[in-house]
Amino acid sequence: MSDGLTKRHGELAPSWWHGGSPGLRLARHTLGLVALAVLLVPFADLAIHTRDPWGELGRMLAGLAWPAWGALTSPLSALGLTVAVALWGTLAGVVLGFPLALMFTRSRLVRAGCAFVRAIHELFWALLFLQVFGLSALTALAALAIPYAGIFAKVYAEILEQTPRAPRDALPPGSGRLARFAYAELPLAWAQLTAYTRYRFECGLRASVLLGFVGLPTLGFHLETAFREGRYHEAGALLWLFYLLIASLPWWGHKRLIPLLLLGGAWLLGPWPSVDGGLLWRFVSEDIWPAALLAGDWAGFVAWLARIPALGPAIGNTLLLGLLGTVGALAVALVLWPLASRHVGNRGTRLAGHGVLIFLRSTPELMLAFVFLLLLGPSLLPAWLALALHNGALIAFLVARHADAITPGMPGLPASGRLAYELLPRVYPGLLALLYYRAEVILRETAILGMLGIATLGFYIEEGFDYLMFDVAFFLLLVTAALNIAVDALSRHFRPREAPIDDPCVR
Amino acid sequence: MEGEQRRPLVRFDGEDLGHGEHIVLPHLSLALYAGERVALLGQSGAGKSTLLGELRARLGRQVAWCPQHHGLVPQLAVYHNVFMGRLPEHSALTNLWNLVRPLRRSWREVTALCDELALAGLMRRPVGELSGGQRQRVAIARALYQARPLFLGDEPVASVDPHQALRLLELIDARHVTSVIALHQRELALTHFDRVWGLRDGRLVIDARADQLTLAELDALYPDADRSDPSPPPDDSAETLPNVDALPCARGRP
Repeated sequence: MSDGLTKRHGELAPSWWHGGSPGLRLARHTLGLVALAVLLVPFADLAIHTRDPWGELGRMLAGLAWPAWGALTSPLSALGLTVAVALWGTLAGVVLGFPLALMFTRSRLVRAGCAFVRAIHELFWALLFLQVFGLSALTALAALAIPYAGIFAKVYAEILEQTPRAPRDALPPGSGRLARFAYAELPLAWAQLTAYTRYRFECGLRASVLLGFVGLPTLGFHLETAFREGRYHEAGALLWLFYLLIASLPWWGHKRLIPLLLLGGAWLLGPWPSVDGGLLWRFVSEDIWPAALLAGDWAGFVAWLARIPALGPAIGNTLLLGLLGTVGALAVALVLWPLASRHVGNRGTRLAGHGVLIFLRSTPELMLAFVFLLLLGPSLLPAWLALALHNGALIAFLVARHADAITPGMPGLPASGRLAYELLPRVYPGLLALLYYRAEVILRETAILGMLGIATLGFYIEEGFDYLMFDVAFFLLLVTAALNIAVDALSRHFRPREAPIDDPCVR
Repeated sequence: MEGEQRRPLVRFDGEDLGHGEHIVLPHLSLALYAGERVALLGQSGAGKSTLLGELRARLGRQVAWCPQHHGLVPQLAVYHNVFMGRLPEHSALTNLWNLVRPLRRSWREVTALCDELALAGLMRRPVGELSGGQRQRVAIARALYQARPLFLGDEPVASVDPHQALRLLELIDARHVTSVIALHQRELALTHFDRVWGLRDGRLVIDARADQLTLAELDALYPDADRSDPSPPPDDSAETLPNVDALPCARGRP
């Protein structure tokens, strides 16, 4: 009897493990990811280094609740500069990226170049240009424009490729390449192109705030100073200013106002630095390369490589944090999405859920990580929390939107049954696909969090720039880019195929 | 009058037509003569579009082309969609300028054409805002605007009522010497065309003068037509797959 039972049990387990249905496949997939994270957690430094994190959190929340508006000095110029940098940076990205998009599918060189510039975070570009252009608007614009050109090239090319072919095929023979593009391709893609450009401008706005962390006088600069000096009521006011800026974007970012904003922004961006061509050339041709390599001295180059501090642990930490952040985002998204869905709870809980999601996804990861860092001290923990919360909230928001479009087939089920039987099976493939899209973004953010003092690659990159070891910093930047490209390829490979997501705005 | 000695515009002699490796119409033999009006009949998937596409490729610039599902650009105005019929006749710069400000002569010509097709007053309206029948007429207007001797239409009168279909066919006839038109209305094929080509499962089973055919013979092209349609299985695959529109970006999407 018991023999038969164990045998049956023995057959059940493999069928669960080997079953080919999409649900089982996704479940195995998820469990594998979680198991990997659990296995590797012991290697992560998750210690809390501060003495009184809860008291500190209380003081920060008090600062957010009672912002000190009067304490702000020249908030308008910081706001204006933030907007001007985002606007002109995005515009420059469009101008550079659009022609590249037209060559994207045909040229392997363009694709590789775009992948490379995309793989390096805006803040790293800013650190690099800071060495040449100093603390100027040129640094800020280049830091945004260059990675965005790569992103625009890729996304525009994808959008243009997905336009329906029928109108093109209907044209009479001999219509000419330019006319074909203007009549039968561009109008079809226009709405998507502008929607994506708008979305990228929003990202640019957040990035522009973050540029304050490397010293450019945008909103982030004032935020960082206020937080570091413990002036939480002033920091609270600045944070509110940031949320208001994001929330009021549909009004001040109206397309009729854009030319006006561009003009006003141009005036705010000055004065322009004088660029010393010779210095720039020396930086590009000599400073960022190891001297041994330029001299062709291979033994010296190997010795130089060996001297780079903690390369292995830095890469390990970066990858580990990326993985933990991804799994954490999955957990956060799974918990949070029902809160914002129309199928669960009442109006009150939904409103609260929406509020939490908006708060978490509009605050940049670096900002969140910075706040957690002040609370918890420099370990991987604050970075992990920031990555998981921000990305989880973003995914939860999109999944809730997806779930709201579903009409349950069986009305009158209790909420738990509706979640488990009606909704989750439908939205989970999409959720996992989104998570894999975000994995690459999470890794890019992971590297940048090093600038806060967490021992990922970014920490050593900033150190390299601080000590004027440009060759080391540049080499680590290349390593970061290679890691990003590799993880992007990996997540593309493992991404579930059940849920194709064509909308570029979710990336 | 139907002189056998006339040279055909196109002749297929036992040729295999298809897309690359995939052959849709094996061993096809037929000829198209100038001055003939041909109705192309057959079920969906019988190979009508393949045959029309091949005719278009061989006849090149003689052809005014009206594709299946119209191939219009929904975001552009009716005027611009019709104008697209003559893109090759202007320089690239002129074509671009026309998007900003319509060329005066083209505007007059397209207006006249749209008046005939009961599209007057819709010239500036984006095609995406039009009804199915109106779009159909825009597609025909674009083909007519090409002003070629030969009209090739892939179901150009599929989504209009019979009365209008007749009027549209008359308009097409008035402006083209030769035409090959795929359609489903069997009565129209007999009353309004010189010749009928009937395709079934990739074979040309009818190639005869319209006045020598009967409706019953044409019915043989549609073996499933009289059988009661089994209701299609409920399509729940559309629901299980996440809808792309349900995952829009955070903000800024129209």
